[in-house]
Amino acid sequence: MNHLDDDAELYVLGIIAPERAAEIEAHVASCETCRERVIAAEAAAAALAGALPPAPSEAATTERLRTTVGGSASRQRSWFAGAAAAAAVVLAATAAYEGSAAHAASSRLASTNTALLAMAASHFEHVSLTTPPGMVAKAIYARDGAWYYVVVSGAPPGGHVRVESGGTFRDVGALVPGTPATLFVRGVGRVAEIDITGPGDATVARGIPSY
Amino acid sequence: MAFEGTGFEHAYRAHAARLRSVAYHVLHDRDAAEDAVHGALLRVWSAGTYRAERGPLLPFLIACVRREALDAVRGTARRRVRETSAAAAAEPFVDPTAALDPVEAQRVRRALGVLSPEQRNVIERAYYGERTLAEIAQELAIPIGTVKSRLAAALRRLHGALSEGSAS
Repeated sequence: MNHLDDDAELYVLGIIAPERAAEIEAHVASCETCRERVIAAEAAAAALAGALPPAPSEAATTERLRTTVGGSASRQRSWFAGAAAAAAVVLAATAAYEGSAAHAASSRLASTNTALLAMAASHFEHVSLTTPPGMVAKAIYARDGAWYYVVVSGAPPGGHVRVESGGTFRDVGALVPGTPATLFVRGVGRVAEIDITGPGDATVARGIPSY
Repeated sequence: MAFEGTGFEHAYRAHAARLRSVAYHVLHDRDAAEDAVHGALLRVWSAGTYRAERGPLLPFLIACVRREALDAVRGTARRRVRETSAAAAAEPFVDPTAALDPVEAQRVRRALGVLSPEQRNVIERAYYGERTLAEIAQELAIPIGTVKSRLAAALRRLHGALSEGSAS
């Protein structure tokens, strides 16, 4: 592939065909000239982003949900925090952090970046579960099925996580109540389906992981 | 949660507001914005390809989140969003007093002042007005190729101006 030229800046601005993005990122990984150009463009674009107004506050959104939608308090905690917790659990569970290449490389960065950098180098997948209105559920899991982290906002009371493999269903544990409700389990292995069950063991949400 | 108060939680909180504002500006919907941030981060992590050589993490993530958000509003969804925010889009301008980071906003405003009016026009339409290349070409009655080269030159010039600004 030739050098990116103006595409370096257009890529960073997000106004380039999405199918080109993977191609560009691959080129950037191997071409120092273009990498430097993209990094410079990202610095400028980040400055532009800094001049944007903040998103509506958590408190305002919670209030809006409560008054107009009647949303449950479980929506208060953002998916973002959920993902943070997930990544933290993942790192604690897999101990992939110490001694990894990412850890060594991160010593050159500011300390707040260290954790994110380690996360960036870990390998896991995620799937959004099909849910009824008012409920959002995602499962984050190791590619070998060694652990699963299920995050559910608007979870049913007494919700459990159930997995299916080879036609057999297995309850792997109760969701820990919270905002969002979560469950971290290990030693499950690869499964064909991940379900959330509610009262009476009825399936309320399901998702198909791919590994 | 046992991990609250740890470095992870701290790292997230340090970046969360910035990433959310980038996504929200594109999507005009808080839940959709959170999904875009979440999606972009998971994409980065699960790819496992980020290395320190790729450059500072936050600017990289900001660009990832913006692409994720723009991907989410393409097609009919994009048009719907655009219609509901037509008033805001008509005047692509950022109010520095309302900025998440007022100091950064002032710095950007000074740097934008270094650009030619033509460069400044396209970069504001593209970044703050959420215009596509074709839309900018139509609005300004110039070829798409010209929009592309002008935008790229504008961002390079902006980077130069910001670097000079921070050096002095």
